[in-house]
Amino acid sequence: MNGAPGVYEGAADVIAALMLLLEFGMLRQALVRDQVRLYAAQSAMISILAVVIAADRNLPDLYALAVLSAILKVIAVPLVLRRLLGPPAVEETRGVAGSYTLNPASAVLACIVLAAFGFFCFGALGIHGPDAPALALSIAGAMVFVAFVLMIVRRDVASQAIGFFSLENAISLASLVVAAELPLLLETAFLFDLLLAVVVFGMLIRAHHSRAESLSTADLSRLRG
Amino acid sequence: MGRAVSAAVPIPVIQLLQVLTVAFGAPGVMGVIAKIEARLQGRRGPRVLQPYYDLAKLFRKEALAPLGASWFFLAAPPVAVAAYLTIPLLIPVLTTYGLPLGYMGDILGGGFLLSLASFVVAAAAVETGSPYAQIGSSRAKTFSAITEPVVLFVVFTVALLTGTDLPYALAATVRSSAGQVVRPAHLLASAALFMVILHETGRIPVETHSGTNEFGMIEEARSFEHSGPYLALLKWGSMLKQFILFTILADVFVVPWGLASTQRLGSVLLAIVALLAKAGAIGVAVAVIDDSFSKLRLFKITEYVAAAFLLAVLGVFTLYLGSG
Repeated sequence: MNGAPGVYEGAADVIAALMLLLEFGMLRQALVRDQVRLYAAQSAMISILAVVIAADRNLPDLYALAVLSAILKVIAVPLVLRRLLGPPAVEETRGVAGSYTLNPASAVLACIVLAAFGFFCFGALGIHGPDAPALALSIAGAMVFVAFVLMIVRRDVASQAIGFFSLENAISLASLVVAAELPLLLETAFLFDLLLAVVVFGMLIRAHHSRAESLSTADLSRLRG
Repeated sequence: MGRAVSAAVPIPVIQLLQVLTVAFGAPGVMGVIAKIEARLQGRRGPRVLQPYYDLAKLFRKEALAPLGASWFFLAAPPVAVAAYLTIPLLIPVLTTYGLPLGYMGDILGGGFLLSLASFVVAAAAVETGSPYAQIGSSRAKTFSAITEPVVLFVVFTVALLTGTDLPYALAATVRSSAGQVVRPAHLLASAALFMVILHETGRIPVETHSGTNEFGMIEEARSFEHSGPYLALLKWGSMLKQFILFTILADVFVVPWGLASTQRLGSVLLAIVALLAKAGAIGVAVAVIDDSFSKLRLFKITEYVAAAFLLAVLGVFTLYLGSG
């Protein structure tokens, strides 16, 4: 019989697994607004995980991080993204909805294979210990690959931005489970990295939309205008 | 009274009780779902005992067979019901300990019996020559072929968790510690199984259960040409299948508590009540889903199955590659 991990480790693993499922949800979701919603849910999960780890290992710093991360990723970033995208009716004409290059079922199957690769790679690292749930780390590895696929299979700037932000969520997950004792200052610096990415992607979305009248990157096949 | 409750029930009687509980509890669960669904839609709905009356009425009616249908057409409903009634011998319905016939087959054995029942019903529907029945059985087989991998991966998860594929062993593992309950592999496999159950019992988002004739029908279309006692057996069979799948979900995966751990009459009776309550609770969840989602287009069902497959595969990954 396969020995069960403790309840704390199990809870951390379940939260990580839910984050991975939300990542798959983002991959499958056709409308960018729903993707933003899923991203907010995924970010909420990471705050919950930070609270769970803080409670279990008695690390008060992590409560502050959880609150900061929730304010930024659950409220601010989705709000900015929604503002950038404008009213829902406009979205359809901008080439966002259904910008798949693969049909959703094939994309999910491809991601399953890549997720297996991620699981395998991070599992092979052999990081075990009472403080680091090995499974949650493997799941973070799988999430990185799924986020990459999300950025690759969608041909619109908005979905690619969300793929990038959720990639950051995967990294945060990995850093939380492996190095929860990381100083708060460093964790906050990571969060500001995300802010920078939001600003850059915001400018990119604006610039692309003003030039091409669309968020689709299908028009960018030629490099010279 | 106290002595009667603590009297030991012979093992063969418990085994028989497992079958009888499933046989006579199944229409009740169907009635509960129909009632709750109606209440959620603001209707009064049929009474909970209505499925029993329906079956009794059909059993009294005359049976007709289409011209040219062979003996197989009439043999299929009893064979299907017999297959469904064998499964309660193999799975933990009332007891935590394995009953003598419980080791005749493992989870795959139960799966084979479910497939056999579904195959004979589909083959009998093809016999009739009726286009609706034929399209129903063709679709049922197509979609069951794509849900099969999901079931296999759920079984793999069970095998990796317990080292066996006996349903009793998984139930015991889940009961053994809280760590086993919150394990991602266990939760993912349970969720995948629940999605398969919605598919297998012909519920929203795959099929409308209580609808009249329509092009989206799958399982429900197969019994179009049967009548009288044969139709009653088919209807009873689908209720049995639903109850058995609910029992597997509750007693093996999600809530394997409340089962009798002794042979005492009191605990066995309690287990019967607990099982009916658990099946009713799953029924409520199914009714809520029925009322809150719309039916998927036929060609979108593959996406639904792909989602279930994702859950089951991730369950295996977490155990096999992720050491969880």
